[in-house]
Amino acid sequence: MQRLARFLSPLLIASLILGSIPAAFASSVPLVGTADALQAASASQHRDQIRQVLARDDVQRQLLAQGVSPAEVNARVAALSDAEARQMAEQLDNLPAGASSALGVLFAVFIILLITDILGLTDVFPFTR
Amino acid sequence: MPLESRGRPNGRPLSKNARLAGVFLRLGLTLLALVLLGGCASGPVLEPQRLASLSTRQQQLTEVPFYAQRDYQCGPATLAMMLEASGQPASVDALIPQVFLPDREGSVQPEMLSTVRRHGRIPFVIPGDFHALLAELDAGHPVAVMQNLALPAFPMWHYAVAIGYDLPARQLTLHSGTRRAQQTAFERFDATWARADRWAFVALPPGQLPASLAADGLLQPISDFERTAGSRQALPAWQAAVERYPDHAMLRFALGNAFYASDDRSNATQAFREAVARDPGLAEAWLNLGLLLAERAPDEAQEALEKAASVDGPWRQQARQAIKMLEIRALDIETR
Repeated sequence: MQRLARFLSPLLIASLILGSIPAAFASSVPLVGTADALQAASASQHRDQIRQVLARDDVQRQLLAQGVSPAEVNARVAALSDAEARQMAEQLDNLPAGASSALGVLFAVFIILLITDILGLTDVFPFTR
Repeated sequence: MPLESRGRPNGRPLSKNARLAGVFLRLGLTLLALVLLGGCASGPVLEPQRLASLSTRQQQLTEVPFYAQRDYQCGPATLAMMLEASGQPASVDALIPQVFLPDREGSVQPEMLSTVRRHGRIPFVIPGDFHALLAELDAGHPVAVMQNLALPAFPMWHYAVAIGYDLPARQLTLHSGTRRAQQTAFERFDATWARADRWAFVALPPGQLPASLAADGLLQPISDFERTAGSRQALPAWQAAVERYPDHAMLRFALGNAFYASDDRSNATQAFREAVARDPGLAEAWLNLGLLLAERAPDEAQEALEKAASVDGPWRQQARQAIKMLEIRALDIETR
């Protein structure tokens, strides 16, 4: 076994070296990607990259906590761009969530909105026009 | 005094008092409304010369389908309309688990954009001004808009799809909530749009570009799409962008990368050459050009890499390393 290894390993090493030399130069040195180039335009990219990895984990946790089904969470996080992932991680609770339902407004608020609707400043009650 | 007015059958002074009180009440409420709105009440400022660039005074994109929202689901409904209008079949039911946040009973902006990407369309957030909105509609692109239908103090966030405008009547047409092709005055719409920071986006198939974005504004949206959908999918978008802005070096660089990732090395090389021809200081394009040429044209590669290394910036280190590797390889070939 050892004799075989002694015989084989120089051969293997040689074939690996020879095999790698004609291999595509470009494939051993990756090209600069568009996203990396755009990111490099903004400074401190390494810190950004670390923050982004953390951000995605964070978003995943937050989505689960918000009632998103576990089967969907991965695909939803993957579709986010880096900037979007950061935005979600840092301020999901403060982001406006488009929903639009006129139910549940207090009576005083109802009166104010009714008047602002009539004045043409808001667009809550369809019957005001 | 109250006795006096109560006693009169014709009640003239009473009606006068009532009218006065009414005037005060209305004044007070208007003031209150203005305070609550914080100055958002004025209509959009439309510049005649920018309106003149629109090809038509009245535009209605009648082919945009309408999906009425259910419960709180204006987000999924808006996305379904946008995707269908761009030629991508979609259903509200399939979109709900992809974009809706159950605990928030709504959908947030980043996920509106990311969901468009998941369906093979590129979301472009357009500039938040009325002219951009009109320009997109004029170009035939429906526009998803975010509105706060109520007031800043008690917001009612809402997504809708703008599908047309009528300049003479100063009205915008929206597929909104449960209302199909609803006509809304420019003023009322702009007040509700302004309260959501005039956020709006178009969703386009790769190869079509928004009417309201300059070259720099295209880079990030297409690059974000490329990262999730892949370079082959994004290639037509870069090609269209280069066609529209042929002198933009960074777009050509991005096109080169998309070609390279799609295994088209000769077009990639060509694109990097065109990029550095337009901006000789674009180190990343020199670097990629050098790396691509290393096998076939070592001399030209050396030259390109040296150009890349001559620019002070984030790519200098990588360029120097590549030069070293090129030298080692040249030695290797000689000794073999």
